[in-house]
Amino acid sequence: MDDLRLTERSVDQKEIKISASNVQVYYGETHAIRDVSVEIEDKTVTAFIGPSGCGKSTFLRCINRMNDTIDTARVSGDILIDGEDIYDKRVDPVQLRAKVGMVFQKPNPFPKSIYDNVAYGPRIHGLARNKADLDDIVERALRRGAIWNEVKDRLTAPGTGLSGGQQQRLCIARAVATEPEVLLMDEPCSALDPIATGQVEELIDELRESYSVVIVTHSMQQAARVSQKTAFFHLGNMVEFGETGKIFTNPEDSRTESYISGRIG
Amino acid sequence: MSALWILLIVLAIAVIGYVLGRGRAMASAGGDIRNLHSLPSYYGFNAALTGLVPALLLMVLWTLGQPLVIERSVAGGLDLAAEATAADRSLLMADVRRVADGLDAAVGQGVLGGDASRALENGDEIRELLGGIGVALGSDVTEDTLRAAQRYRTMSHTGSLAMTILVIAASLGGTALAYRMTTRDFRARNTVERGVLVLLIAAACLAILTTLGIVLSLIFNTVEFFRLYPATDFFFGTTWSPSFGGGSSLGILSLLWGTFYISLIALMVAVPIGLLAAIYLSEYASPLVRSVAKPLLEVLAGIPTIVYGLFALLTVGPLLVDIFGQDGVLGVDWMGGGTAVMTAGLVMGIMLIPFVSSLSDDIINAVPQSMRDGSLGLGATHSETVKQVILPAALPGIVGAILLAASRAIGETMIVVLGAGAAARLSLNPFEAMTTVTAKIVSQLTGDADFSSPEALVAFALGMTLFVITLALNVFALWIVRRYREQYE
Repeated sequence: MDDLRLTERSVDQKEIKISASNVQVYYGETHAIRDVSVEIEDKTVTAFIGPSGCGKSTFLRCINRMNDTIDTARVSGDILIDGEDIYDKRVDPVQLRAKVGMVFQKPNPFPKSIYDNVAYGPRIHGLARNKADLDDIVERALRRGAIWNEVKDRLTAPGTGLSGGQQQRLCIARAVATEPEVLLMDEPCSALDPIATGQVEELIDELRESYSVVIVTHSMQQAARVSQKTAFFHLGNMVEFGETGKIFTNPEDSRTESYISGRIG
Repeated sequence: MSALWILLIVLAIAVIGYVLGRGRAMASAGGDIRNLHSLPSYYGFNAALTGLVPALLLMVLWTLGQPLVIERSVAGGLDLAAEATAADRSLLMADVRRVADGLDAAVGQGVLGGDASRALENGDEIRELLGGIGVALGSDVTEDTLRAAQRYRTMSHTGSLAMTILVIAASLGGTALAYRMTTRDFRARNTVERGVLVLLIAAACLAILTTLGIVLSLIFNTVEFFRLYPATDFFFGTTWSPSFGGGSSLGILSLLWGTFYISLIALMVAVPIGLLAAIYLSEYASPLVRSVAKPLLEVLAGIPTIVYGLFALLTVGPLLVDIFGQDGVLGVDWMGGGTAVMTAGLVMGIMLIPFVSSLSDDIINAVPQSMRDGSLGLGATHSETVKQVILPAALPGIVGAILLAASRAIGETMIVVLGAGAAARLSLNPFEAMTTVTAKIVSQLTGDADFSSPEALVAFALGMTLFVITLALNVFALWIVRRYREQYE
């Protein structure tokens, strides 16, 4: 594991952005997440790794209450963002999702123009005072998504006409446009080729400057490349959580070691 | 021998062929089916099919071709005056056929012996004779006609006999051939597979040919109509007043207007209600509600249109008069009678609701879940997601559904006949009675229609116009659906 870039990582103590304790998730009768407690720092990339079906995506979807859209899902326990319980009755999940952006596994641009895709969030939340303001927001988001140079001449072209990697960066730009504080990424590179993956990973590293990024990934190399903290999930439990370098070089739990060395999963 | 008997005999031969073919295959394999190329039943089917298909094909072709050949030959034998037209000739041939059929009937009923029927020479005698058994002859039977009729009879007799012999021979020959070919190495399975393929192709061709036939019959009669009535008057005339005495004006515009107006009202009812119902069912309803509500909505589609017509006539019409008529709830006197554009349009709209909702529901369901997740993940509410993401994504399909509903509305007849009245009128008032193209086709062809008058033939021109309009709508709908379908792939 030469690409760990351990030296580059700052290990300063940072502010806690998301704090989860004793989170349980049930899908009907199935107990999908058992007793997960984790503290996610601000301006950090946190990776969730683990074999398929271990609950890492489910846990990710708890953070912006996307599980609410599934009828059979039930969540208990506390998740606090900036000290506020997001499952409190007074919290409006719609407002929450504007604050906690999400990028999905498969690029899912809307069948609209590139401009309208990015402007979607700001328009809904009334973030722009006028057209020029909106243009600014869109441009800034597309620059942050590292796709501005490729699309600036065809903002009116449909977003679905872009290549897979461009679509995914467009979706990231779309998520960034609503000025979220946390960015959740559910296997954002699994549908992309290595070059597009490289571009998105670079982008994730840049996004770390302003957001708390949580990324679910199947690729351990990716987790090692982009994250500062890593959590390992197995069978609905969070087995281990710590510095990425430590998890990959000197895990405490034997299950983590087995997974990392390829014996389970 | 009648066709039914020939058919039964051929079928019997095929069954015997099946048994023999199967038996021979088993025998050649020494009773062990593992030695055969195909399962034994395939050898049987092979023998049966070779006995059946060519024989039946021959029979169909012969039955279709024989009358044509005989008619031509008999007509050639008639001496007609040189100036005789095609119409005269066909009239004379009709007489000949009538006499020939009459004589056949007489022989069949035992009034006349077979030899005696051939010996008849006097026209009046025949008239009387056939009158006695219920075959009325129109004009006097001339000797010429009688001779032609006798020739006609002889030829059809010989023809049928030849057909019987040839068909049975073909069946036997085919079976024998298949029987000879049946050995343990014969690839009966592949042969039967080819036979099945041919059968399927034949079925598809038959369906297409029927459509073609309908269109052709429409075209021929339409051309005939335009020979009698100027096309410009038909397409641009605004009055519709057919009178079978002649001198009628047959302008399609007022009918097209009625069709268009009623369909418009129907769509204005059906599209919003159907679409909103579809959105509720596909986006908001729980699986339980959906499983109950969707079939209930689709029950509407199963109601015969005549029942909707009764509903329009007995319920909706009087109700509307109570509201908009004289001494009505609103105190306005807009509506004279129950039959009006509004009545038919409303009821037709109700009829179209399940059509729109069912198709739109399928289309909305086909929008990938990732679109919803994407929108909800950005903090949009459910209805914002529906309005800004799902409906635009599903729009081409929804437009297609609406156009298909429109083409149904245009072709609808019974609701209009009962609900909208029969007066052809160009008016903007939706509370007046109007009529549509379809309703007029019905009224022009009911009763004693003389198919050489423009008043009857106009029905075909109307039908053709309607056909072209609905075809164009359907093609346009399919084009839209296909053109924009791949937006989210």
